[in-house]
Amino acid sequence: MITPGAALSKSAPLLACIGLLCAWQVASLALQTESFPTALEAIRAVPSILGDKESLVNIGASIRRMAIGLSLAVLFAIPLGLLMGRIKGVASFFNPLLMIIYPVPKAALMPIIMLWMGVGDMSKTLVIFLGVSLPIIYHSFQGGKAVEEKMLWSGAAMGLSAPQRMLRIVLPAALPEILTGCRTGLVLALITMVTSEMIARQSGAGNILFNALDMAQYDTVFAMIIIIGAMGILFDAAFEKLRGWLVRWSKPQHDMPLSFS
Amino acid sequence: MKVVSLRSDVQAEPAALPGVAPAMAMIHIDHVSQRFQTSGRQSHLALSDINLTIEDGAFVSILGPSGCGKSTLLYIVGGFVQPSDGAAKVKGKVITGPGPDRGPVFQEFALFPWKNVLGNVMYGLRQQGVKKTDAEAKSRKLLEMVGLKGYENFYPKELSGGMKQRVAIARTLAYNPAVLLMDEPFGALDAHTRTRLQNDLLTIWERDRKTVLFVTHSVEEAVFLSDKVVVMTRSPGSIKVVVDIDLPRPRKRAELLLDPRYQKYVVDIEKLIDDTGEDEIHA
Repeated sequence: MITPGAALSKSAPLLACIGLLCAWQVASLALQTESFPTALEAIRAVPSILGDKESLVNIGASIRRMAIGLSLAVLFAIPLGLLMGRIKGVASFFNPLLMIIYPVPKAALMPIIMLWMGVGDMSKTLVIFLGVSLPIIYHSFQGGKAVEEKMLWSGAAMGLSAPQRMLRIVLPAALPEILTGCRTGLVLALITMVTSEMIARQSGAGNILFNALDMAQYDTVFAMIIIIGAMGILFDAAFEKLRGWLVRWSKPQHDMPLSFS
Repeated sequence: MKVVSLRSDVQAEPAALPGVAPAMAMIHIDHVSQRFQTSGRQSHLALSDINLTIEDGAFVSILGPSGCGKSTLLYIVGGFVQPSDGAAKVKGKVITGPGPDRGPVFQEFALFPWKNVLGNVMYGLRQQGVKKTDAEAKSRKLLEMVGLKGYENFYPKELSGGMKQRVAIARTLAYNPAVLLMDEPFGALDAHTRTRLQNDLLTIWERDRKTVLFVTHSVEEAVFLSDKVVVMTRSPGSIKVVVDIDLPRPRKRAELLLDPRYQKYVVDIEKLIDDTGEDEIHA
């Protein structure tokens, strides 16, 4: 038996989406501006983008850069964050460096990176890597720092060496926190991906969007926004599934806001 | 500075257990002091010139008010903390770090939450290079012994505090340390669970007679379990007196609580602690 209340809370996200689209539709009809197509027009433009081979290649290239940038960031940021969390010297060395990098919008580095590396995949992937690394470092650091000392002592008594304790106790113990960072990183990767393509206009989902804007194809612009948003929701939901499975042993942390999974 | 000394100006020998051959020293704590840097440039003397010998197979409790450094002393024997002065030895060898000959059990359980119950108990065995099937068989047997048969696939988060501590004890017993180091192991448990775990620990201990160093602030618990109770004073932590608990074994709680000798030990030791003028002694 599903109670009306439960049914309502289950369908709430869907209702919210529909509500947003309705509001959009009404606002657009009321404003009657050329640059603000109705929700229906935008949705109608989605299949034509997804049916176009070149668009798909572009979106595929975007996703590939995002995946590579994110993977490199994960491989770099988790060990660094954990080492910072466990070894004071490492933290004192890297902390000031990260403090300087932290407030700089990574996309602002794009022009310089383009100057050095061109407008190709390399510079865009690098920007994604930079954008994503910081939250993962931060959460890995927090997670590593919070590992119970007695747990490490228990491991040491069993004969685990310091590197073994790092890999086999600190890493799994900090995993819930690390994955929280990775989730933030995933969304940031998507954002940085679009931003980098906005600056280095060569290929990708962002490029389709801004080309359409240049050509005043506003329905395509909004359709691309819908597609990119849907990609974000999809990636996030898939990641949440994976995360839930990886840390099924962990005490449920408070639910994060903004989850469609 | 580690001072290796062969002096033996240590505590009185315990009353020899009937039918037990004179025991060798398992743990020897020799002029151990511990200083901590506090905020600012001051240092706090947590332990002052501790000398203690613990024989093989003895159950020794360290009793004292919170802040008397009793846990620190246990950590020094565990090799988790290096003493500022003096040395602790196990089987005649100076302790320089943790090792599988000394198995800790902490008040906080410190289980590996990502491993299920069986995985936790097997962990130390696998680390020692025991084959997976053998490690599993031995772990299952231990879990049965601590009363957790049927919980092998549970994760620690799904267990109560008492069950977690049973897992922790099984996990430590699994790699067969010569010495059990128990740091207020039942301190976080409710009175009922605590009593049951004390009984079970005693049953297990009376079977294989490992050397146990047991830190507690409960006088009753110390007297009930121990051969010797080391009473400590606070600030700086030092040994006030070592009381031999000459009560017959195997001990049964129901009989012991009515035994005037047990009651006298409890009252005498409580008085000893009262004399130090400390509060918050009772569990």
